[in-house]
Amino acid sequence: MSTMPDTALLRTRLLRRHSGFTLDVDLVLPGRGVTALFGHSGSGKTTCLRIIAGLERAPGCHIEVNGEVWQDDARGLFVPMHRRAIGYVFQDAALFPHLNVAQNLAYGKTRRPAARPVDDRALITLLGIDHLLNRQPASLSGGERQRVAIARALLAGPRLLLMDEPLAALDLARKREILPYLERLHTTLEIPVLYVSHSPDEVVRLADHLVILDGGRVVAEGPLTTTLTRLDLPTTFADVGMVIEGVVAACDADYRMITLDFPGGSLRLVHDALRVGSKLRVQIKSRDVSLSLHAAGDTSILNVLPAIITGETMQGDGGHVLVGLDIGGVPLNARITRMSRDQLGLKIGHRVHAQIKAVSVLT
Amino acid sequence: MKPRLFLSLLAGLCLALTASAAEITVFAAASLTNALAEIGPAYTAATGDTVRFNFGSSGALARQIKEGAPADAFLSADQLRADQLEKAGLLLPGTRRTLLANTLVLIVNKDAPAAVKGFADLPGKAVRRLAIGEPKTVPAGTYAKKWLQSQKLWSGVIDKCVPLDNVRSVLAAVETGNADAGLVYKTDALISKHVTVVAEVPLSDGLDITYPAAVVKDSRQPEAAKAFLDYLSGPKSRETFARYGFLSPN
Amino acid sequence: MPDNIVQIMFFTLWVAALGTACILPPGILLGWLLARKRWPGKTVVETIVALPLVIPPVATGLILLKLFGRRGPLGRLCEQLFGLEIVFTWKAVVLATAVMSFPLLVRAARVAFEEIDRRLEDAAGTLGARPLDVFFSITLPLARRGLLAGTVLAFARALGEFGATVMIAGMIPGETITLSLGIYQHVQLGEDSAALGLLGISVALAFAAVWGSERLLRKHPA
Repeated sequence: MSTMPDTALLRTRLLRRHSGFTLDVDLVLPGRGVTALFGHSGSGKTTCLRIIAGLERAPGCHIEVNGEVWQDDARGLFVPMHRRAIGYVFQDAALFPHLNVAQNLAYGKTRRPAARPVDDRALITLLGIDHLLNRQPASLSGGERQRVAIARALLAGPRLLLMDEPLAALDLARKREILPYLERLHTTLEIPVLYVSHSPDEVVRLADHLVILDGGRVVAEGPLTTTLTRLDLPTTFADVGMVIEGVVAACDADYRMITLDFPGGSLRLVHDALRVGSKLRVQIKSRDVSLSLHAAGDTSILNVLPAIITGETMQGDGGHVLVGLDIGGVPLNARITRMSRDQLGLKIGHRVHAQIKAVSVLT
Repeated sequence: MKPRLFLSLLAGLCLALTASAAEITVFAAASLTNALAEIGPAYTAATGDTVRFNFGSSGALARQIKEGAPADAFLSADQLRADQLEKAGLLLPGTRRTLLANTLVLIVNKDAPAAVKGFADLPGKAVRRLAIGEPKTVPAGTYAKKWLQSQKLWSGVIDKCVPLDNVRSVLAAVETGNADAGLVYKTDALISKHVTVVAEVPLSDGLDITYPAAVVKDSRQPEAAKAFLDYLSGPKSRETFARYGFLSPN
Repeated sequence: MPDNIVQIMFFTLWVAALGTACILPPGILLGWLLARKRWPGKTVVETIVALPLVIPPVATGLILLKLFGRRGPLGRLCEQLFGLEIVFTWKAVVLATAVMSFPLLVRAARVAFEEIDRRLEDAAGTLGARPLDVFFSITLPLARRGLLAGTVLAFARALGEFGATVMIAGMIPGETITLSLGIYQHVQLGEDSAALGLLGISVALAFAAVWGSERLLRKHPA
């Protein structure tokens, strides 16, 4: 599973017992991209983040970032949070209400030498907050506030960005407003991000690496695509959805459709604002994938992809079966009834066709 | 060497100053405030010594002296407080004397009809409320009760008595007409323009309302304090006290 | 007489200001400790500090007199160490007003600190601010409304203090007489007009303090 120990950024062993709740997390995380800590509320995600930041001190922990040890209770070592090169984005932005936006942004810069150089102007422009610099936090919208908070954390030149459900306090419209900024950050940011969330949408759109936490323990961990298609996920996570990442190969302006090429083939879906060559992530739910033994010709289903069955697991008290597929090296799952499986006589290793309606491919 | 010279000079100066003019602190009953405010400067003019007064209720002053307040002399409005301090060994033996006497008077509102002409009218219908000091805590009240009892009037007025927390409140009650009559010190009655004295308890009638004075044992300048007390007994001070309604002790 | 009134007014203002200034640093510190930290004996300290609010001021004055009097342990200490005599001097007035105002300030400071969102302090820490830096750059500015209100309250309480002052400082004309003591003394002596004069000044000062604090609060909204 852990294929990246050499590029590892974060090695942690966290142990915390507090009023009946035990957090026991042992992780080696990649030094690049966005790692999502995903789980239901109360699963220990935020506690993990707070311990890594040094906001909370739990005994028996070991935290190492980029080869620098921040906490090692075996040796009695604890680096206080103000000396950890982190950026922390809180759920509710936590802007200082007595300072204006520019002063908020400058707060970190004057206090800790940046661990890496930051292009202030470019970052401010990227987050679209140029025009807000003289405003007071109280006069900002929720989305603007969160963008300023992200800028404030990044301007201090951290080595690691920790984001604690940065979108959870926003309504749907504000989420839609801020997600494109996060996606742009994702592609331009060189530092790793640890992103706590309980929202499948955010995880699917932003994460590269996924850690699923449940009851204080890691239940699954790995690259996003393979982790989401694991057949052994607890049922509460089973319908988060799967991700396929590809490049736009063709656009049909008349039908407002695009063709997305990915390593396992190509997908057609409805989309009206992308150019050929741009990268795109799409989300597919396992219940929207159906299987047939032959490639049916006269059907409304536009996406029919050859696949090999790699595994299966029973779900829903034996009424459902989650079937694992390999589509040219890309993993995908199909949720079908047990009756269908038996009628088609599906077995591991069989060649089948996965059918996905273009309208159920979400962006 | 120079600092040492300076210091010894300073010390010499201080000694010279204390030798020529002392500053004494006198704890005095609040009722003496106005009279002493006149006598103090006169004493300074006559002797060069200055007097610092701390005015309060006799009980509070005694308490403060017990706790080590820096008093040189104590002028109390009742013998009881002086007795307590003397028993505790806090007064300089041989310095205690009785300085002044006071007496109780019966007052009514100036504008009220002359229905009350003397102590004998108190049980009658003309008086619905009689203001006195609280007999347990206010000396003037204690004296009032004692006097009324000795005149066999107490049982007749007990139901109309309004006990108040200090003499000033008694005065105010009569001034505002909330009480039909009141018993206060003669000196207090003279303060108010709105009350009339209708009767006075004769000094010979056994109410020993006297003001004792003594030097405090812890005084750092007992001689200067004693000199001031002597001055208070002198003719010039007596004349001033008399103007404020105080009497000479027998 | 007017001379005397002016002296009493400025003396009262000065004593109240000095008393308030003296308790400001310890009051803010204690308010913060009560709001933010758990420590042994916290409840005991809390209770002792609140005592002057509950017990009669005269009793507080008596306790102070026992502690700081010539025979008292702290009084002896002050005299031996610094040659300082406190009781029945202006210093005693400052002490009495300080002790009586302290609980009000501590209470206000505690509430002011409790109302601050801890995450703002956390955020400052993650941005590289040391704990002391966080206190001065985030906590204190955010608490300033409550602290200012508490300071005005303490100052106003100091202006009006009577019971403890009269016990430990006495009524020494020209030396320990404040507005409240002066009012009481004039009332005792039947000098109503003088008492009313001082009362007018007290009311004017109280108005000025409240009005001034309102203006300050409006100038710097939180």
